[in-house]
Amino acid sequence: MQSVVEFDNVGLRYGTGAETLTDLSFTLYPGSFYFLTGASGAGKTSLLKLLYLAHRPSRGSIRMFGHDAITLPRDRLPGFRRRIGVVFQDFRLVQHLSTFDNIALPLRIAGIQEKDLINPVTEMLDWIGLTERADARPATLSGGEQQRVAIARAVIGRPEMLVADEPTGNVDPEMARRLLQLFEALNRLGTTVIVATHDIHLLQEIDGAQMMRLDKGRLSDPTGSLRHPPRPLVLRN
Amino acid sequence: MLLDFALPAHDRKLIPEGRLSGPMPWVIAIMLFLTLLVAAIGLSLVDAVQKGGADLAQRATLQIIEPDPVARATQKVEISRMLRNVAGISKVEPVPEGEVRNLLKPWLGNDVIDSDIPVPALIDIRFKNAPDQATLTSLKKRLKTIAPKIRLDSHSSWMAPFFQLMSSLIYLAVAIFILLLIATSAVVILAVRSTLNTHRTTIEIMHMMGGTDLQAARLFQRRVALDALLGGSAGFGAAAAVILALGGRIAAVEPGLLAGATLPVYGWVALATIPLAVTGLAMLMARWTVVSALKKML
Ligand SMILES: Nc1ncnc2c1ncn2[C@@H]1O[C@H](COP(=O)(O)OP(=O)(O)O)[C@@H](O)[C@H]1O
Ligand SMILES: [Mg+2]
Repeated sequence: MQSVVEFDNVGLRYGTGAETLTDLSFTLYPGSFYFLTGASGAGKTSLLKLLYLAHRPSRGSIRMFGHDAITLPRDRLPGFRRRIGVVFQDFRLVQHLSTFDNIALPLRIAGIQEKDLINPVTEMLDWIGLTERADARPATLSGGEQQRVAIARAVIGRPEMLVADEPTGNVDPEMARRLLQLFEALNRLGTTVIVATHDIHLLQEIDGAQMMRLDKGRLSDPTGSLRHPPRPLVLRN
Repeated sequence: MLLDFALPAHDRKLIPEGRLSGPMPWVIAIMLFLTLLVAAIGLSLVDAVQKGGADLAQRATLQIIEPDPVARATQKVEISRMLRNVAGISKVEPVPEGEVRNLLKPWLGNDVIDSDIPVPALIDIRFKNAPDQATLTSLKKRLKTIAPKIRLDSHSSWMAPFFQLMSSLIYLAVAIFILLLIATSAVVILAVRSTLNTHRTTIEIMHMMGGTDLQAARLFQRRVALDALLGGSAGFGAAAAVILALGGRIAAVEPGLLAGATLPVYGWVALATIPLAVTGLAMLMARWTVVSALKKML
């Protein structure tokens, strides 16, 4: 089975300090669902930044979608980033765009015609329950509402890989379950999902999800299930 | 309509902030107004000097300062006849004495002029090509054999201080023009930087979603170009109005030294290229600023 992501002995160091991430070796497979857990400061966000190509590692090798991600020339990165949906821990909504336009952003960047993006965005607004707030600016939304917009924006383009950093931190358990269903639906369509969370309850929500645990920058069980292809929830034909 | 052309709806939704919200178009309008005015003045002066200078340089006036009216009249006829045979002289025009008296009237007063006071005989000479000093001197020497008391003045020589003043003014206009262009460029650069800072997070977000450097650059380029074009057009319109109004005033002045001081057609063309050049500069600056900011990100 072809991998989506392969880390081999990856280390990440910010500036000249100690390594924030050390000796990471693992493989992520298409159509799988991963939870990334670990205490605050363990390096979850840092690992996700490597996954969504915001950083290059200080050492080791990373393969992504079958390509060496380290030596990838800079002008090919946008093409790779468009295959990855990201839910940032701090949302990063565009403040002067409406809810609708924020969600439509990835489609517009990808050059989708206006007439072709109205339907998917409207459906997405309905799913996250923000149809009434379609014209609202992020500043006028509650924290939970902003988080839902951030998630909608990450999944609207049906990415091959979805990376979510604490995506349910600001919503009530009911909405958290609902948003996870969104991820699960996407996962059933073949998207590889990686969700960083320290919410233990979430882990039980997804059947067959894999677990990655970071402890002070190291994967605490590097020889565990991550070494082997998981049981995919849906096999791609 | 113009807005649609410059910023398609698709792109406007990425960075939708009102185009005229910033001071950039106004500042550019003011800077360009001043730039264009000084350019127009410079061009008009150059044109006036070229036209007037070439004309004046071909002309000279001969004065016969002979107090004896009979001798003066004879000399005038003889000298005129001789001048007509000189190669390089295209026109010889003896000025009638009545006209000379009329010319002097304002200076000497009616009483004096009407008396028998001797006035010099004048002959206007036009050369085919502007004569140099040597030609004038040798001509004068030959003429002195007929009339010892003469003065030969080329018009360019007594106009020299005026033309020196004009060329100083032209240099001044060029200097001011260059300074204003530098200041305008600085304004454009600052405006682009501040626009970029306002939208830095947006650009970063677009970047993380797979937006290309050129996509971001294009957005800014168009916005900035639109601002520059609007400001430039306003500045050009105001400057053109002033130039036309001044041209009307100059035309109303008795024809004389200023008559040539109007903006020639090539001048208008040159002026029109300035706002376009500033717009082009603004676009290049926007592109360069955005791309170099993005290059710092992975
Ligand atoms: N940009 C950065 N520069 C320097 N240190 C950083 C940076 N980002 C994170 N760190 C440090 O790396 C460690 C891991 O942080 P992070 O990846 O955010 O952990 P988590 O998301 O698990 O809370 C922390 O000690 C944090 O201070
Ligand atoms: Mg974090």
